[in-house]
Formats: sequence, C-alpha cells, structure tokens
Amino acid sequence: MDFTLSNEQRSWQMTARKFAEEEIRPISVERDEISDPRETFDWEIIKKGSRLGFRTMAVPKEWGGHGTDFVTQALVMAELAKADSAISKTFSQCWKWSHLIAATCTDEQKRRFLQPFLEDDTYLLGKGISEPSAGSDNRLPPPDDPKAGLKLRAERHGDDWILNGEKCFIANASVGKLFFIDARTDPNAPLKQGTTMFLVPRDTPGFRIGKVFNKSGWRFYQNGEMIFENARVPHANVVGPVNGSDMKTQQAGDRTGGDLFGDLELAANALGVCDDACGMALRLARTKKQGGRLLFEQQVVQLKLNRMHLLTEALRSFVMRVAWEHDHKMHSANPGLCMNFSTDVIQEVSERNLELHADAGVMNARADKLVRDAIIWSHLAGDSVQRMKTTRRLAK
Amino acid sequence: MYNLQLSPEQLEIRDTVRDFVARDVKPHALRPERLEARTRPLLIDVLDKASQLGLRTLALSEDAGGAGADTLTSAIVTEELALGDPDVAAVLAQTSMLAHLLFDRLMTPEQHARFLPPFLADDRYQLALADLEPDRDGVLGIRYHRPEMSEAGVKTTAVRAGDVWVINGVKDRVANAPLAKLFAVEVSNGANGVSTLLVPSDAPGLSISESDRSSHFHHGACGTLAFQDCRVPLENLIGAEGESPLDGNATRDLPQDQALNLGIGRAAYEAALDYAQLRVQGGRRIVEHQAIGTKLAEVAVRLEVARAAIWQAAWACDHPEAIADRSLPDLPLTRIAKVFASEAIYHATKDAAECFGAMGVMRDMPLQKYAHDALVCLHSGTSNSDTKLHIAEALAGYRRPASAAVLAAE
Repeated sequence: MDFTLSNEQRSWQMTARKFAEEEIRPISVERDEISDPRETFDWEIIKKGSRLGFRTMAVPKEWGGHGTDFVTQALVMAELAKADSAISKTFSQCWKWSHLIAATCTDEQKRRFLQPFLEDDTYLLGKGISEPSAGSDNRLPPPDDPKAGLKLRAERHGDDWILNGEKCFIANASVGKLFFIDARTDPNAPLKQGTTMFLVPRDTPGFRIGKVFNKSGWRFYQNGEMIFENARVPHANVVGPVNGSDMKTQQAGDRTGGDLFGDLELAANALGVCDDACGMALRLARTKKQGGRLLFEQQVVQLKLNRMHLLTEALRSFVMRVAWEHDHKMHSANPGLCMNFSTDVIQEVSERNLELHADAGVMNARADKLVRDAIIWSHLAGDSVQRMKTTRRLAK
Repeated sequence: MYNLQLSPEQLEIRDTVRDFVARDVKPHALRPERLEARTRPLLIDVLDKASQLGLRTLALSEDAGGAGADTLTSAIVTEELALGDPDVAAVLAQTSMLAHLLFDRLMTPEQHARFLPPFLADDRYQLALADLEPDRDGVLGIRYHRPEMSEAGVKTTAVRAGDVWVINGVKDRVANAPLAKLFAVEVSNGANGVSTLLVPSDAPGLSISESDRSSHFHHGACGTLAFQDCRVPLENLIGAEGESPLDGNATRDLPQDQALNLGIGRAAYEAALDYAQLRVQGGRRIVEHQAIGTKLAEVAVRLEVARAAIWQAAWACDHPEAIADRSLPDLPLTRIAKVFASEAIYHATKDAAECFGAMGVMRDMPLQKYAHDALVCLHSGTSNSDTKLHIAEALAGYRRPASAAVLAAE
C-alpha cells in the first residue's frame, strides 16, 4: 500500500490550497451572509479558479482538458472545500458533467459542447433530474408504481423534441450554460425504460430559469427551478439512446458523471469541511483561556478534539481509497458507503466545532456556517434513500 | 407520591394556550420574515394578547393578581407557546417566573405597593434579572472539583450616597432587557458582599442596548445594561445588604428553558408527521415506508423521554418533600433534563427536517428554523459540557468551600 502522491498530484493540491486560502476563504463568510440567494454567487472567483484549471480539470487530455485522475480530483475538492464547501461544489459540479460528456456523448456532441466549455471561463454545467413531485422516486423507482418518477415530457416533432414541464433544486441552474435534462419520452414505460437525456443549452427557446432556492446552507451554490414551455431541442442533442437515459451508468463505468463520481465528490468535499472544523477547534483550544488556563488543558476539550480528528482522518482514508479505486476501475459499493459515512462525519465534526466555540462563549459565524453547510448532506437526495441505494449495490 | 396526572385546571390551561397558539401565534410565526432565524422581529402584538390572557402573570400568586401557576403548569404553558414561537415563550416565561419570585417572595410590602400596580396594569411591563457580566462567565470548566480557583466577583458596584444607591458597571446577556420596565440587578457592596437592587428601566444613568442574535445564543430578547452613576432610592434594596437572595442562581433550577426546547421539538415533529402522511414517493405515503416510520418513531421517543425528564424536574420543584422522602433522587434534576433534552431535541428536529427532503433546508419553510431554534437551545445558558461537570460534582457530593470565593476575590 502506498499513499505517496505523485509530483503532479501534489502540485494540483498545492495550487488548490493556495487559491483556497488566498482567494476563496476571504469571501466565504461574506458570500454566505448575503440574504438574497441570487446574489450570493461571485463570477470573479469562478473566473480566477477557471484560469487555474479548476473548472475543466476533469476533461480528458485528448479533448483539451487536464485529464486529472480521481485522486487529484479528490485532493482538489477537499482543498477548495476547506475554504468554502459551496464554492468547491460549484467547480466540481462541472467535473461531474465533464465525466458524463466524456463517457456518453458522441464525438460530434463533444465538439459542439466541450469546445466552448473549455474556452469560456464562465461556462458552467448542470443536470436536471428532480421535480416537485419526484425526488426519491428518481433514485429508487418503486417497482409497483411504473408511473412514479420525473414527469417532464419530451415529444418528437420531426428533427426536434418539444419539452414541457419543470425541474426544481437544480444545481447551477441560474448560472449554467449547458444542462443535461432527463425527460420522459415514453410516459407509459417505467422510469428507466421511458426516460431520455438531452443536452439543453441555456439559450434554448421555451426554456427559462425560475426562482433560486433560499437554502440555509451552501448558500453560494445556486439551486434553481427550470421551466420548459414548448422548449425546442434538436434530436442531435439526445445523449445515448432514446428511452435509455439509465444506460449511461452501466456503459460508462467509472468514467461516468452519475452516482460514482457524485459519491466521491460529496465525501471529498465533506473531508475539506472537516479539516477546516478541526483546524478551527484546535486553534481555539490552543489560544482561548478559561480561568487563566488554555482550553486545551481541559480533559473534556481534549476528548472532543480527539473525536473530531479521528473521524476526519478515518474519512480521509476512505475518500482516498475510493478515489484510488476509481482510478483502478474497481467497482464496489464503497463510493456510496463513503458518501453515507461522510454525512455522519461532517455533521458531527462541524457540530463539535460549534460546540467548542459556544462553550467558550465565542460566537463564530464560520463555525455556524459549517454546521449549516453540513446539514445539506442529509437533504441532497433523501438521506435514507442514499443509504438504501448503496445497500442495494452491495447485494448486486 | 410521585404523580404526573394533570389536574382539570392544568388541562384547561393547556387547551386554552394551545388554542391561542393555533389561532393567534402560528399564523404570525410562520410568516416569511419570522422564518429568518437570525433576524426575526419580536411579535409584540402576540405578547400583548398573551398578557391579556394572563400568561405574563401566570406564576404570580392569585392574591397578587396572577394565576398562581406552579412550576409544572408553567412548563406546560411554555411548551405550548414555544410550539408557536420560542421568542414569545421566552419573554413570558421570564417575566412570569420573576413576577412570582419578586412580588410573592422577595419584595417588602412597600416595594410591593410601589411596583405591583403598574406591573399589573401594563401588558408591556416585562421583568428582567441582571446577574451576568462581561468576563464573569460563570463557567465551571477548569474549576471542576477544585476549591482553589474561583471566578471573579461581581464587578458592578452600588455605593450609598445620602438616600440613594449609586450604581456603576455593566451587565450583559440580560434576558428581556430591551422590553423590561423593572430589573433585579446584582451589585457588589465591596467588602459587604453582594446585594440585589430593583432598578426601573427609566432610572437616570441606566442605558439599555439590545444585543443581536450573533452576540450569543438566546431566544426572546436580550441586551446589555450600562450603569453610569445610576441612582435608585435606598428602599430599592431586596433583602439585606450583602445578602442577595438571588445569588447562587436561585432562578436557574426551574426547567423553563427545557420546556421551551420541548415546544420547538414538538413543532418539528408535528410538521413532519403531517407531511409524511401527505407526501407520496415510492408508490405510497412516505409514512408507510419503514425508513420514514422509524425516523418518526425515534423523534417521538426522544420527545417523550425528554418530556418525562422535564416534567419530573418541574414536579420536583413543586414538591420538595418528594426528594426528602426519597420518592425522587436528590440529584440536580433540571440539569439532568437539560443535557438529555437539548441533545435529544436537536437530533429530533434534524430528523424531522430530513423527512422533507430538500424542502427541509429551505429558509422559506419552517423546518430549518426548528433545527436552528433547537441548536440555540443546545448552546444557550450553561453549556452541556459544563452542566455535566456540575452534575458530576453533585453525584460525588462535592461542595466548594465558600471561603474560596472570598479568598480568590481578594
């Protein structure tokens, strides 16, 4: 077993650490505190990060990207998240769909969409699955209810498809330029056999963004509504086979932008938040005094710090192992288990950090932010649903 | 006999308050601006109505014009109010508790005659206790099980000058400060010890500032009092000089904050239970899924066990003889309830929010507010870490030598 990083991996990590500390951290709490959810976003930080490669690092080299491996991606996500979880997620959301493009798009589609993505520092990607009445149903479709799941309708008219319906909670909705949209193309078939994925550019006629959701955590990250009113998408934008949206994950293996990367992404992001919480707590304990003595001298404080660090280091081991397994194309339920574990760890570690600050009579807006960001993990896709889905992978 | 069967009066009060909350509090509490956990304004109109219903004077004796409610009844009312709005519950619980303490137990007949009529006549006359100071945190922490070190003494001073006391100093984290018209203030008389003075909010030399929610975790309204040559009549002394009847946190044994916490947990639970019976995923209402059913069951378990601990502590306050005759253990029951309830209810609100999926973290939905409100309870007042140290000292029968405080102060 060898945990040594290559020079290239180390170099990405160091660049990310510097960028995170010097550029992201100074704006993190300030962006979080803006009350209008549309105003929390900051294009300058996206452009700066993009110029350093953090937007396009997952695009394969043959298509003009950086072609970084999954270990590097995990390292960078954690470093960026250590400064701001939501800003890190905004970048990695683009990697998720870069993987999807690489895995599932035709060469013609790659030319049409990867090229502008690579050239434009403000070109962000997103994917629309969830709808007001279809959340968990898209992830664990009930076998006894074939009509369950997303309802957005796509009907073929000659060379075009006409889309009608709406999506909600869609990441990067208000800032993205290109979206993968899952739509029902056969309303009578169960979800997996009746859904097709479309590439939908922002300027598609009949397609618009509704409200941006006002979340308690991850405030920088833009989750919005999408409204399709006779939106016209050319047949050339169909990804994979018609009625075969679900095929992507099986065909694509670990190059997918689907669940496998998504699980690693959340776990690596959580790791960065935990690192930040541990750092804050340790700094507090070593500087703040009570009764004339440093907090660190107290047993109850030492025990809490111990708990925070042991959980964080266990998560680090798991995250790096899953990233390494992705690079070696080893398939297992580990990514899901790691993501489930990260939900528990990020919440306990961020809550303990807040507790140490509150116990010391120190109000810290950042400690509060980390707790709010951490709670998001339970609400991304239905916490129990994510866990049961992982378990079903174990039984396959 | 340990008995938690509620009397007809207690049940009636609970029903009355429950109706009031459903009709007059919840509709306001769930307005969008109230869901912003950090900047929400106080519901002054609701406080007025609650006062007219007798909830401001709930624990004040019937002789003095109140409802004479005992600790358990007060806890039940606070829970119901907090179900609608924790800030309203916090303000009323504090005034009601202090009304009983000050008017029924501590004031002289002369003070009673001077302060009671205006208190009864004014729905906006709230009461406050000012005992905490900056740099006097009251934390046990490093002093656990050790006699040698003590926190600093009271720094706010009161000096006799003719027929007045002249007060100088600062008090902070004063619950009800921005609303109160009368304060009980702990002051140092130098070598003579610590006394308590009654200070009206319009006393010359007193300035009151409201503290926002980023200054410390609290429900209700809090603030800081600055005394600069503030003058009150000599007759405003409560008890004897140098023998403050409030020193030693006499008011902190009542489980009011815990009852408030419970109301927050119940609000989250009721919302989740309703939603789970409406929302359909996986071909059936989500309450019919084991995962959600179990989660709701865990929420209910946490709330009911928390309630048992809180009510036991409240009942013990009303029946000190039950500890003397060994019906109940001689333990700090309110502290025990605090540790269990605050942790259990925080988890319960998070679990309840999870039933709502993404909507559970939206600021225009109440679930994130319930989780935040429970987090505030988890971190307000004495911390759980410190409370456990207090409990541990009690378990071991440890008593801190009284002289240590005096020695350390010199």
